[in-house]
Order: sequence, then C-alpha cells, then structure tokens
Amino acid sequence: MSPESTDFLYPFIEGDETDSASLLDDLALSAQGKWAQSTSLRAETLERCEEQLRTVAAAMAERFAAGGRLYAFGNGGSATDAEGVAQLYTRPPAVTAFHPGRPALPLAARSLAEDQAVLTALSNDIGFDVVFSRQLIAHGRPHDIAMGFSTSGNSDNLLMAFAEAAKQGMLTVGLSGYDGGRMAADANLEHCIVVRSESVHRIQESQASVIHVLWAYVHEAMEARDLPV
Amino acid sequence: MEFRPLERGFAMSVTDAVDEANGAYQVGAAMGDVAEDLAAASLALARRFHAGGTMWCASPAWPFHAHHVAVEFVHPVIVGKRALAALTVPPGADVVATLRASVRPGDMVVALARADDAEVADAMRRGRAWGVETLWIGHGPRPPAGAADHVVWLDGDDELDASERFVRVYHLLWELTHVCFEHPGLLKALSPGDGPGCTDEVCITCSDEGRLAEVVTAEDDEAVVRTAEGTERIDTMLIEPPEPGDLVLVHAGSAISNVSDQG
Repeated sequence: MSPESTDFLYPFIEGDETDSASLLDDLALSAQGKWAQSTSLRAETLERCEEQLRTVAAAMAERFAAGGRLYAFGNGGSATDAEGVAQLYTRPPAVTAFHPGRPALPLAARSLAEDQAVLTALSNDIGFDVVFSRQLIAHGRPHDIAMGFSTSGNSDNLLMAFAEAAKQGMLTVGLSGYDGGRMAADANLEHCIVVRSESVHRIQESQASVIHVLWAYVHEAMEARDLPV
Repeated sequence: MEFRPLERGFAMSVTDAVDEANGAYQVGAAMGDVAEDLAAASLALARRFHAGGTMWCASPAWPFHAHHVAVEFVHPVIVGKRALAALTVPPGADVVATLRASVRPGDMVVALARADDAEVADAMRRGRAWGVETLWIGHGPRPPAGAADHVVWLDGDDELDASERFVRVYHLLWELTHVCFEHPGLLKALSPGDGPGCTDEVCITCSDEGRLAEVVTAEDDEAVVRTAEGTERIDTMLIEPPEPGDLVLVHAGSAISNVSDQG
C-alpha cells in the first residue's frame, strides 16, 4: 500500500525528476476523484440513516428539553469532532441553511476530550481506557446524552464510556465507520450511526455531515414538539 | 465537479426550505477550482516538510479544525506514513504574537478562516518577513490577491456547509502531500530560509522593490528588523520613524517605505 516501498524500483528517475507539471495534474485529478467519492458517500449515508437520525434527534430533543447536557468524546480526529460538536451546540451559527428561518438556540454541550489536565491525570494515574468513562462518573446525570465518535468503532475508551453512560441512564449515541465495529454490537450503545466506508478520511468527512444534519434535526424536533428550549 | 442532488429526507427538510427562502442555495456545493490550488499547495508543503519545516495551524473561529489538521499530519491514519511536524496555535491565543515567537524560517503557516478574519490576515502578510510559506483555507468572499502564498477557497457563505468541505480539503492536503514525497526530485527546490517567490537569481521583489521586514526595535534613524534571512540593522531615515511590529520594505540596507497599513 505504501508507495514509498516502491521507491527502490526507480531511484534515478525519481531523484532526477524536475518537472512538476505532470505531478500537479495527477494530484488535482486524484483530489477530484476523492472529492466525488466523498460526495457520494455523504448522500448514501444521509439517505440510509435518515430515519435513524430522526429517531436519535427526537430522543436527544427530549433530553435537552428535560435539562440534559450533551457530552461528546472521541480520539484523535474524532476528538476534534467532539470539540466541533460542543462548539456547534453551544455557539451555533446565526445563519445556516441547515437550520433555516430563525437562529438556532444554544444547547448545553461539552467535549470530554478538551481538558488536558483531566486527560493526562486520568491517563497517567489509571489508564487511557478510562479517560471518558471516569469523567462521565463525575458529570453524568440521567437526562444527559453521551455521544462518542470513532471511525473503527472499536475504541476501548468509547465502549467504557458507553457502559458508564448506560448505567447512569444517559442517552447513548455513537458514530462509527466500516461495518460499525464493536460499537455496532454493543448492548450499552442505544444508537449507532454507521458510515459504511473503508477509508478513515471518507468516514470522517461523512460523519461531519451526520453531525450537522443531526444537530439540525434536534432543533426541528424541539420546535415541532413545541418544547421549551 | 458536478453537483449531486441531495438525499431525500435532508433535501426535503432543509434545502428545500432554504431554496424557498433565498432562492437556489445548495448545501454540499461543488469543488470548484479547489483541486488545482490544493495540488500546488501540497507540493509546496511537501518541499517545506522535506527541508525540515514545521507546519503551524491556526483557526481562531474553528479551533477544532486547526487541531484536526495538526493531528492528521503528526499521527497519520495510514500506518507507515511518516509523522510530520505540525502544531496548532492554541485556541484563544494571539495568533500573530504566538507565531512571531514560534516560527522559524522555512516553516509553514496554515490558517482556516474567513477573509474578514483580521488577525489571520495580519499573520499571513507577515509570512515573508518571517520566512514562512502561508496557506489560507477559507470560504465566502475571497481575500485580496497576494494575501497568502497559497489560497484554497470554497464558494458559499454557509459556515456548516463550508465546514464539511474543510474536512475534505485538509484530508486531501495530507494525502497529496504524501504523494509528493514519492517524487524526491521535485522536493529539492527549496531549502530552509528561502523566501517564497524569492528563489530565483534575479528576484524582482528583492532587487528592485525591497524585501519585507518586520520591525523589532526602532531608535532614532535606525531599526532592527526581522526578515526571511534573519535579523539585521537598517537605516530608517527615508521613512517616518517606525514602531515595533511595523512592516517595512528594505532595499540596500534602508527602509524605503512603511507598508503596515497596506492590508
């Protein structure tokens, strides 16, 4: 898979290469192809998950209406998704096509992957498997929502967090990739939204879309039920 | 790239409502001419990484995007790909002050921001004085020509729609950068300290008009300035006394104009 492993085949040719024009053409073509793949996967994912997203949004709307708070978590790029989710819910854009009409109201949300003091303390003193679950022990309440992001669906610290969240009666929502991984079969995870792809990058790109649509549907669900926001 | 019609449920509930409200807004807009700009930016980054540069990522409005770019390069998702030096400007930090203190000649600055982000614009225009190569990724109205060495710009004002496409853009940036590493002959064009656009023997920027410099200290008719080549003492008799942080053009040991206000 690694193209670098084939370097030895043509060391002189590549080492002497001086004209970048054909490389730039190849790069642009490659980018266009992957962009198109991402666009297709986005459409396929949102269509296949439409009903599930509506169900999850309705359940989340109930929790928010009851005073619940959203806790988001993940590792690596998925940690940045959690950070983005916290920003989207607490500080929504004033105007967006995802939520046309009036501006979306802020909702309580927090990423569990942002506080380096907490993350390093838990990792150092206990282990990385508990970095999210131990925080939920401290923060979680029955009306809250636990939302975990993974591309493999196999992260131990997410599965432990879902177990803790379920124990506390929190609503559990997971985003996963590939065939869903262990998250898809986890009894502690009530809703597992799977982006069916083998590419970590393409999975994350469609998960970003799922995040936005789910957020929009949460607001629609709250407004449709005329719940206090 | 052709625009793909949206999936049913989403199209019914979100886009159609917007279409009614403000015409023909389409979530998930096309790629535009991003591919070519991405290709050029990726080769530039590969050259800088190859020469030992560090990539600094800043996104005051969307810190999570800056974090995502950095982790992508430092800890690649594809096993066996080399870890590259990428760091973020911490959320909430003064972008210019942080970069001024942190960057070395030969580094890269990648910003994700709208064109009206004054802090990012200010950091980008100092790139040549600091000896760094700049890449500005954003959406909506474009920044003025020359605002950064590389501009990868998405059409559309919608922040969330753009946010989704930003993820694609920096994933592709990472992928294409690694493809460039398979072409070592094309990575030799730069060495640390070379200013972007200043690699030819006859350089219009340097020989005729002056090099961009950032004032470190100024006193009487002299100033110590920072340029891509390091710090130097220059004569400031030809201009009004500059302040620390001002940007000036230097020619033959003298400041010939103060360009701080030419945003």
